[in-house]
Amino acid sequence: MSATFATQLDQVTRRWVTGAIRQPWGLGVAIVQPVIWIVLFGNVFQSVGQVPGFGHDDYLSFLVPGILMMTVLYSGAWAGTGFIDDIRSGVMDRMLSSPVSRPALVLGQLVQQLLICVVQGVMVLVIGALAGAHYAGGVLGMAVALGASVLLAAAFCSLSAAVALLARDQTALIGISTIVVLPATFLSTALMPVQLLPDWVATAAKFNPLTWATSIAQTAMSPDVDWGVVATRSAWLVVLATIVAWWSLRAMRSYQRSL
Amino acid sequence: MPSTPAIEADDLVKTYPGGRGRPDVRALDGLTLTVPAGTVHGLLGPNGAGKSTTTKVLTTLSTPTSGTARVAGHDVAREAGEVRRRIGYVSQGTGADPLLTPRENLVMTGRLRGLGRSAAADRATALVDRFGLTELADRGTAKLSGGTRRKLDVALGLVGSPQVLFLDEPTTGLDPEARAAMWDEIRRLSGEDALTVLLTTHYLEEADRLADGLSIVDRGRVVAAGTPDELKATLAGDTLTVDLVEPDADVVRAVAAAVPGLGEVLVHVEGPAGRLVARTPDGPLLVGPTIAALQAAGVRHGAVAVSRPTLDDVYLRHAGRSWTSADTSSTGVAR
Repeated sequence: MSATFATQLDQVTRRWVTGAIRQPWGLGVAIVQPVIWIVLFGNVFQSVGQVPGFGHDDYLSFLVPGILMMTVLYSGAWAGTGFIDDIRSGVMDRMLSSPVSRPALVLGQLVQQLLICVVQGVMVLVIGALAGAHYAGGVLGMAVALGASVLLAAAFCSLSAAVALLARDQTALIGISTIVVLPATFLSTALMPVQLLPDWVATAAKFNPLTWATSIAQTAMSPDVDWGVVATRSAWLVVLATIVAWWSLRAMRSYQRSL
Repeated sequence: MPSTPAIEADDLVKTYPGGRGRPDVRALDGLTLTVPAGTVHGLLGPNGAGKSTTTKVLTTLSTPTSGTARVAGHDVAREAGEVRRRIGYVSQGTGADPLLTPRENLVMTGRLRGLGRSAAADRATALVDRFGLTELADRGTAKLSGGTRRKLDVALGLVGSPQVLFLDEPTTGLDPEARAAMWDEIRRLSGEDALTVLLTTHYLEEADRLADGLSIVDRGRVVAAGTPDELKATLAGDTLTVDLVEPDADVVRAVAAAVPGLGEVLVHVEGPAGRLVARTPDGPLLVGPTIAALQAAGVRHGAVAVSRPTLDDVYLRHAGRSWTSADTSSTGVAR
């Protein structure tokens, strides 16, 4: 007697979604955080919009795609904590001693993270619009932007899960995430257009997945969409997400070997 | 013809890397174990003896460094999937998701094990009723008391209708009332369900009351095996215990050796306190001569006790050290 992979994936996803809904603090923070960012960054960096060579209509409309991707990064950093809780409580051991597919355990949690990512992304777009941002790309542009955020989330949440399963320590996970997330934010085009960045930052930003995802969202939501940018950056994100997701599956095996 | 044993472990060795140049930790050192189907078998030993590691190997969680094991007729290394379908595992931690209700935990477990929607719901209801959780089934799992939560853990282990159930320290941390309730449940498991149960415990009393068969584990090996009565019967006669004050171990040994009828003398000294433990065919008769000899040699003593053999004595004899000195964190040991 064994459940199909689809059933197992569905059950594992449901479990995590139910858990997330029952932790109102986590959801509250997930919504409040982008509001704070849009208000803070939108006001502090407002004058950037007047700098010659900025190249966009207004700073807020430029900023929303960046905030969308930053939200993914900052929420995704916590993605692995659920595994650490499970290891500590004994849920993980019970799962691993039962006929449940290991990929279903890892991917079910990832699907939950991606669902949260979409909900958060929609909130960011709504909050941005309320604050006065214009989305020239229309509904299609917003959908493409959300798609890019999901690809970025798949890569980054898998990274968090892999680190969690290898380090098995909450403090280490949060520490590593913090070290990665802040530089990743500033070495990207999330807050500043590339032509205004110092040369070395612009160079580093080219290799930053946050820049790739932001570029997709920025062009998709602009009046004239560069589909070439959308296609290439999406491809890069797909490759990255696949590699990191595969690594997170390996990390689950490595955890079991350590038992 | 005897049926196939539910558990057969042969010469299991498990080493963990010591890290930073320290030698490897040998958690299992040639452990061999046979458990007949339909019995409750106790794995008794102090913390760190290798009980949990044995359970992890037998539940396919952990891969042995060497040796083989078969559970419910399948090899744990080569046929892990087959073993997992036939076992339930209640770990030392909990196994329940605190954010789901008890019923949701049970249903999810059933679905993951291949039960359909309604079959999983029925199974959950049956287990909820059986463990007396009906009123609490739809409340938060995190709010359950320790004893109730442990019942839920056992129920979760039973969702897949296993042939073999592993209970790792099922009553550690429970108050006496909850412990007694858990003991009743474990007895019912073997009685009504004809289930094989492997129970690890460091409570001598628990092993004595519940287990049909016992394996005493020390330093990764089984040092003695049999029914509790068989094990106690290997120790004929009584145990004589004398508490000592600032004793000189060599003097005490010499004194005891000179008392006719005292055998298997062990002297423990810990700080200013000491203890003389000896086996004797007739305890009450030897109290007088022993005390007189100690006094003559100038050894100060405290309480004197004569007792029938307990599992503690069995442990002492086979592991070569007393229960309490091997397991300082153990609190439930009554002497």
